[in-house]
Amino acid sequence: MGLGGMNKLNWIGRSLPRVEDKKFLMGRGGYIDDMDLHGMLHVAVLRSPFAHAIIKGMDTSAAEALPGVVAVITGKQAAELCDWMPDFNPEPNLHKWRVLADEKVRYVGEGVAVVVAESRYIAEDGRDLIEVDYEPLAPVPSARKAQEAGAALLHDGMESNVAHDSTLAFGDVDGEFERAAHIVREHVYWGRTAAQPMETAGSVASYNPGNGMLTIHANSVALTNFSFLVAGTLKIDSNKLDLVPMPAGGSFGSKFWATRATVTAGMCSKFLGRPVKYVEDRLDHALSCDHHGSEREYDIEMAISADGEFRALRLVCTDDYGAYFQFGLGTHGNAMSQVIGPYDIKAISYRAVGVLTNKCQQGAYRGFGSEVHNFALERLVDKAAIELGVDALELRRKNFITPDKFPHKIPGGNVYDSGNYEAVLQEALKDARLDYWRAEQAKAREEGRYVGIGIVTQQERSVYAANEWWFFRGAEGVSSVPESVSLHVDALGKVSVTMYSTAFWGNSPETVAAQVLGEELGVNPDEVSFAYQGTNKGLPGSGPGGSRFTVMITGAVQGASAKIRDKAIKIAAHMLEVAEGDLEYVNGGVQVKGDPSQRKSLAEIAIMPRLFKHQLPDDITSGFDADMVYDHPYTTLPTADRSDLGIFYPMMAHATHIAVVEVDVETGGVKFLDYIAVHDCGTVVNPRSLDGQVIGGLAQGVGQALYEEFVYDDEGQIQSSSWLDYLIPSAMEIPEVRLGHHETPSPFTPYGMKGGGEGGRMHAPAAIASAVDDALKPLGATRATHLPLTPERIISMVNGH
Amino acid sequence: MKPPRFEYLRPDSVGAAVALLNEHGEGARILAGGQSLIPMMNFRIAQPSHLIDITRVPGLDAITDEGNAITIGAAVRQSTVEYSPVVKDRCPLLVEALKWVAHEPIRHRGTVCGSLAHADPHSELAATSLALNATFTVVGASGERQVPAVDFFIGPFTTVIESGEMLSSVSFPVVPAGSGYAIDEFSRTHGNFAIAGGVSVIQLGADGKVASATLSMFGMASRAFRAFAAEERLIGSMPTAEAIAEAADLALVDVDCSADMHGSEEYRAHLGRVYAGRVLTSAVARAQGGSK
Ligand SMILES: Cc1cc2nc3c(=O)[nH]c(=O)nc-3n(C[C@H](O)[C@H](O)[C@H](O)COP(=O)(O)OP(=O)(O)OC[C@H]3O[C@@H](n4cnc5c(N)ncnc54)[C@H](O)[C@@H]3O)c2cc1C
Repeated sequence: MGLGGMNKLNWIGRSLPRVEDKKFLMGRGGYIDDMDLHGMLHVAVLRSPFAHAIIKGMDTSAAEALPGVVAVITGKQAAELCDWMPDFNPEPNLHKWRVLADEKVRYVGEGVAVVVAESRYIAEDGRDLIEVDYEPLAPVPSARKAQEAGAALLHDGMESNVAHDSTLAFGDVDGEFERAAHIVREHVYWGRTAAQPMETAGSVASYNPGNGMLTIHANSVALTNFSFLVAGTLKIDSNKLDLVPMPAGGSFGSKFWATRATVTAGMCSKFLGRPVKYVEDRLDHALSCDHHGSEREYDIEMAISADGEFRALRLVCTDDYGAYFQFGLGTHGNAMSQVIGPYDIKAISYRAVGVLTNKCQQGAYRGFGSEVHNFALERLVDKAAIELGVDALELRRKNFITPDKFPHKIPGGNVYDSGNYEAVLQEALKDARLDYWRAEQAKAREEGRYVGIGIVTQQERSVYAANEWWFFRGAEGVSSVPESVSLHVDALGKVSVTMYSTAFWGNSPETVAAQVLGEELGVNPDEVSFAYQGTNKGLPGSGPGGSRFTVMITGAVQGASAKIRDKAIKIAAHMLEVAEGDLEYVNGGVQVKGDPSQRKSLAEIAIMPRLFKHQLPDDITSGFDADMVYDHPYTTLPTADRSDLGIFYPMMAHATHIAVVEVDVETGGVKFLDYIAVHDCGTVVNPRSLDGQVIGGLAQGVGQALYEEFVYDDEGQIQSSSWLDYLIPSAMEIPEVRLGHHETPSPFTPYGMKGGGEGGRMHAPAAIASAVDDALKPLGATRATHLPLTPERIISMVNGH
Repeated sequence: MKPPRFEYLRPDSVGAAVALLNEHGEGARILAGGQSLIPMMNFRIAQPSHLIDITRVPGLDAITDEGNAITIGAAVRQSTVEYSPVVKDRCPLLVEALKWVAHEPIRHRGTVCGSLAHADPHSELAATSLALNATFTVVGASGERQVPAVDFFIGPFTTVIESGEMLSSVSFPVVPAGSGYAIDEFSRTHGNFAIAGGVSVIQLGADGKVASATLSMFGMASRAFRAFAAEERLIGSMPTAEAIAEAADLALVDVDCSADMHGSEEYRAHLGRVYAGRVLTSAVARAQGGSK
């Protein structure tokens, strides 16, 4: 799409070095912890050592007496200073949460008081002096235990710890299962992990009692169109809060809507009338970030016809949510968008059970629930191939939605915009040297070594819409997910871009905008400058998340550019004394159609509306700026009876991943021999930065599959609160990935782009598990369905447990 | 994750360091590379009142070739040892062991003696000192004493170093010509602490039988330890695969294996036997190949 009759692209599709890199590599990116305001105070949070306990009393006198401590705010006081925390779950009254626990703690690490002091050191010294009187309650350490009769209740207002249990079904599920020639069943467990950005969540708040303005610089509230909710929690007027986005040193979902740091700093600053910084340290982040990832169990089954056609899918998914339910069923809405994977499955039944437990709450982590579903589905497909005695790849191919079927409406209602799954698979196989690896595998087996190959074909939904948050419930919900941009062309024709929301969190918003401006206005991407605007005067922004930013910022830049071009043509028409209709915008200037000799450059045009009002026609106002608020290009509302969930996540990317591993059956260790990843994210803006996204996501997928886990014991004590035990794979554990990109443009987006921000993590776990199974096949091992596949777990699989 | 207040002191001799230790009592701690101590302070697990930095004490950063042993001063960084030509030539096992310790940047600061004094049960260097029969020089107010490795480690993070004492150096006997040695371990990620590992040094007689053998294990119990029963099984025998397998099975006799989220007792015991077998096999192969 793009410009009418667009010629070949000049900038999109090129691996330009990222615009953002230089400032960050030079240490001049301006991270939150580098920010220092005059008279600024620092916060340390006192955290609960118990998983579940009543707070009977607290003695803060010794802390308050410590020189350098300015204030101690207990949970009780915080409950007066602040309202409940913003929460997107559909029944917020049942399980509300506060910035600090006031009456009861519900997980190890939940904050119970803050110490505000002249330095973080003193704040932590003060923290050690607070005495809390806890009355421990029976812990609820897992979703299973939470559902047992007699389990302690986390929230008094609830009848059980089950916060949600409902089923969405589409098509003739029961009929398909009755008619099925084969039914294949699988049980899958996905361990609790979380994004581990180098930079944790943090905020610097500064309250001006003179005008009542609270300015909060934050790296962790991308969803800025909901900033009024933060104002509500802080009990100030929404127009008196300016939430200023800072670049985030990594998010992976965890900074999508992380408000605790912002509310903590904001509360303290408003209370004391002084600037206050709160940046989570690694322990704060591990124990009590806003976003642990999913912890889930699946019972999943598929009805298959006699000739191997996937007919229907039925699953029960039990989520161990932790203590609160801030995003409700967003992670399931997300999974529903690609519930049938790349396969033409006709009917589905999806039961989501949400259970509250004494653990840190769940939120977003690269994939936001869809990656878990991908894992469960591909494990099931692999098992189907074994049970049917057919080749797993052929079974997948047979069930692929074919290119002629797009746009394809799936059971439930979402639409897959475009795709060519066979082509992506072909491209992966072309590089995979499967014959070589099969020969190596045979040779290795003779030597008592175990090599395995895993191949998965999976979806990668992108460009999320808000509907996924609420369609599980009856009510209507929010449906706006806009992204905005402002363009400013100065008197010399130089272009500046203002973005809204926390656009940068390790992705490439500036690079994308610059490359698109290269196409749209013909400017050199290197010469564009960037600024970020806070919420106070800001246009609506929803930020990155759900792999949406590339498409959304492109739409916004494209729309704003069109306004700039229109004005440029108007001005040039006057300058060249030619009718507007005879002019066109080409290569950074306006010229007479077909006559490049009659031309005005953007620089020549730009000075006019800036300085020469009376040399222009009356209807041309001064200034050369354009705002654009871009809405999601393709969504619809669900029907009231939920017989159709509507279109909510239609830009459907796809990938084939092939993992080749060797398993040491004496130790349970897994090592990579090869890895191929081919993605189709529509039109690629910048292959190099997309490569980075895939490799980074893949590394997190490797972590999920083999290493990372927040382990809580039976008492609800967390065992892996530091990186000593929460094992993040390094370059030594990550395979050398051979990457490919296939391009099937989306018919619904600018230039045909799709999102690719969550790629590797959605695919690597299933590919690795599949490869481990293949390696262990000759030993009659049990299947790799429980993540992470720790070495000990692999040994017990080998032993048939 | 900020440490509480402490005083920082920098003595210029071992004597002065020991005097400061005695002056400030229980709250005083030696600071070497800080790669274990500083993280513990950030977590407030350790809250020393005084840090006595020994890394700039003149002479303490020396690696000395004593002929039959290499002596490493308390301020010598792990990476200095790792890249020392003398150590590589005379005690290459130590170089191999260091490759398993943490990551390169940590080895640039961490000291060999600091690791030994710290006595982490997962320590490769502790196990290496056991397998090589190293000697520790411990200095206190009343002078210095020599402690053999087998007596040095008492339990988790505990050695015979008493309050008011410090470790001034450690001497590693050179690996005898013609002997075979090996170190190997299993850790879940590169550079992380081992779940199980072993170190072995083996000498064969002219008849091909095992003349001497040491085997030490780390990562699996409350401290690194010598597996004497396994050694005895091999000494005087032909080092056949069967003999090695039997020795490996004896490596954990009477050992209480530790358990954590990375491995249960049973798994650690299993891995321990696997690694005992692996290092014995490699050490024997090297001895047979005549490698150093
Ligand atoms: C990420 C990471 C991974 C690591 N992985 C490993 C690993 O795989 N294997 C491993 O063995 N270690 C590992 N370590 C620990 C590392 O090797 C440390 O450097 C070492 O254990 C301590 O040495 P140091 O010189 O830094 O001692 P410090 O941290 O300065 O001191 C440690 C302790 O020893 C005491 N001490 C130090 N020197 C003396 C002395 N001369 N006399 C008396 N007491 C003394 C100190 O008072 C303190 O209690 C790792 C560390 C990190 C941070």
